[in-house]
Amino acid sequence: MSTEEVKTEPKPVFKVASFQQNKNPNKKRAWKSLKQIITSERALPWPEDVIHYSSINAPPSFKPAEKFSDLSGLHAPYTDPQTRLRFANKEEYATLTDLPMDITAGYLALRGATSIVG
Amino acid sequence: MEILGFKDSKCVPDIVHPYTASLRNNAVPIVIDNGSYQCRVGWATNTEPMLLFKNLIAKPRKERSKKDTVEVPQTPQLQVGNDIVNIEAVRFQLKTQFDRNVVTHFEAQEHLFDYSFAHLGIDTENRVPHPILCTEAFLNPNSSRQLMSELLFECYDVPGICYGVDSLFALGYQESKPVDNALLVNMGYHSCHVIPVVNGKVMYEHSRRLNTGGWHIITFLHKILQLKYPAHATAITLSRAEELLHSICTVALDYRDELNKWNDPDFYEENIKKIQLPYAAAVATSSLTVEQQKERKKELARRLTEINARKREERLAEFQQKINQLNEILDMVQYGVDEDEIVEAMAEHQIKNVQDLQKNIAALKMKIDKTLQKIQAANNADEVDEPPAKQSKHTKMVFESEKAMHSFLQNIKKMRQEILHKKLVRKQRKQDMAKRRTAAGQERMRIISQLARKEKGNDDFGLRDEDWEIYKTISKDGGDSDSEAENEKLLEFEEIIRVHEPSELDEITTPGETHQLHVGIEKIRAPELLFKPYMLGSSDAGLSEVIGYVLSLFSYDDQLKLAGNVLVMGGLAHLKGLQKRLLADLVSIRPFQSEVNVRIMQNPNSAAWYGARKFAKSPEFKKSLLTKAMYEENGPEYFKEHFASNSFNPTPKGQPTEIDV
Repeated sequence: MSTEEVKTEPKPVFKVASFQQNKNPNKKRAWKSLKQIITSERALPWPEDVIHYSSINAPPSFKPAEKFSDLSGLHAPYTDPQTRLRFANKEEYATLTDLPMDITAGYLALRGATSIVG
Repeated sequence: MEILGFKDSKCVPDIVHPYTASLRNNAVPIVIDNGSYQCRVGWATNTEPMLLFKNLIAKPRKERSKKDTVEVPQTPQLQVGNDIVNIEAVRFQLKTQFDRNVVTHFEAQEHLFDYSFAHLGIDTENRVPHPILCTEAFLNPNSSRQLMSELLFECYDVPGICYGVDSLFALGYQESKPVDNALLVNMGYHSCHVIPVVNGKVMYEHSRRLNTGGWHIITFLHKILQLKYPAHATAITLSRAEELLHSICTVALDYRDELNKWNDPDFYEENIKKIQLPYAAAVATSSLTVEQQKERKKELARRLTEINARKREERLAEFQQKINQLNEILDMVQYGVDEDEIVEAMAEHQIKNVQDLQKNIAALKMKIDKTLQKIQAANNADEVDEPPAKQSKHTKMVFESEKAMHSFLQNIKKMRQEILHKKLVRKQRKQDMAKRRTAAGQERMRIISQLARKEKGNDDFGLRDEDWEIYKTISKDGGDSDSEAENEKLLEFEEIIRVHEPSELDEITTPGETHQLHVGIEKIRAPELLFKPYMLGSSDAGLSEVIGYVLSLFSYDDQLKLAGNVLVMGGLAHLKGLQKRLLADLVSIRPFQSEVNVRIMQNPNSAAWYGARKFAKSPEFKKSLLTKAMYEENGPEYFKEHFASNSFNPTPKGQPTEIDV
């Protein structure tokens, strides 16, 4: 695909004409994602004292997670066993029971609570 | 309550700046603050960045041209940076060279460099004869830097490159003399960094990165608003969520406390922000009144009768002409004119003999009479001919009295209520059935178990038709579901009520009110993500916790120094209330009465560019430059260290790094 682009889009003059990032023009070059880069970086035998990208990840939280209502964001003492949504009061429960599936699923996905185990 | 609106600000395409001789001849360095949100580009001699654009390209997919079209498939226009005027129009084609805060996609990076250099006006052939000072991620992986050097040296043939970390440049800008101790908090688009600097040295091993940033807040806000207003999901765009983040979002000083306040209806009423979405005023079904419609119909009918009358008259004239001609021939026959002449004249009208001629004349006379009659009739009927107005589906029915109409309406309303009630009961039943501990649920279980208990020998279930009824009672729908017919009935009733009592069903007062977003808790809820990443399901610690953790890695003396000089920068540093919140959180974890100081950097957005520019002008810069010769000599991942750079750690050999493909 890059061969076509070269033809249609004029290359700026300041570029080296022969340069091609894509060594093989017939194949689209796949760029490694950050995840892949980190994995291959971690696999290397680095000296002890070297710090790299993945070694400064934030530590896990040691504080208990508070529970907030999915609908309003208020403190949520209750969870609806059917939809698994959290809610703060009976008015919210009333709206919650009327919500269609896609909305409840959206709220759960947002909180990252879609896994069956959790 | 004032109602806010969206600005929906658009990008202005950049101009191509002039490439002056002094720039060309002095090899002035180009300073690029390559951030995952925005990129700032300028000459080291500028005081402000010349270009400021979002690091995005919009690459339209190639139109899959159909096989039968012969024309050459056009490559659609590639839009880069500020070329993208309306970002929402190309939202699904956007690409960035960044994966989180690291450059990984160098094809996109190439397009963005093209854009930058072209708009700086550079026109030298096959090379960019200026050293580049480019920012990169804190602890940028070697492979990413290697590809960046490759791109800059081999594609643009630059004379030298210098890499540095944005936060460290910003620190150098903020303080005129080198700072010994500071705790940098850089709040970026994809990540937040906490970087301690002790005795002038960057403590890489004790830095931490929180993988939550502005992007997460924006998408979170976008999503909760979309879920709250599913009807306006398409009108709530990411750009608008971003606008809200900067216009009304604040960081709560004490989130718990703030939430309790929102529980109070008065506080809610006072502090809710109402934001108007653009809407088109409901188009009236037809702007014409009934009279006008009638008038128009009449007009049409009149025109039609006119046309008909004209046609009839034309026909009449035609007949009369013909009859005159035939009469002339008849006269000729009667006066005994030459035979040949008569035959000729008759042949003209395709008539064979005299009898035929007479027959024809008689027929024509009949026709003329008929037409005349018709014209007469049409003239008389003109006024009477108004067709009865067509009944639209639910126009007002005519009632003998007010009372009759009232009772009719009451009846309709009652029927509507009945259907609604039925629906409600059905829904309740369905819910009860689904649960275990309700009477309905237990009754259902009882029936099922009874059915299952039947002895094997004499199983005669299904012999009688009534047996099958049992399935209706135990099905989760409770036997019958909302039927189509019922829904239709309901609609019809509502329509009737609307016709007769227009104010009964719809209570909307102003047209725009349904297009308003009410943003209350959301404005503190979204920024709170920084402090509570678990709201997004992440297990990472929040910002304050990370800062506390980083401090805990130091000796008591160093902790004092760091906590006494916390510097906040990055795009999110503008958030209202952030400084107070960080200070409050820090005070709560620091020893009693120890010194704690949190400052927001001046120009937290562009401090990194200013700092980088300052460095590019210093004599240090020349020494820190990686030249092409060094690049070729020391390998592609080599770079020179300086006060604001990452540290160079050659990738260990043994296993070759697979960079290519």
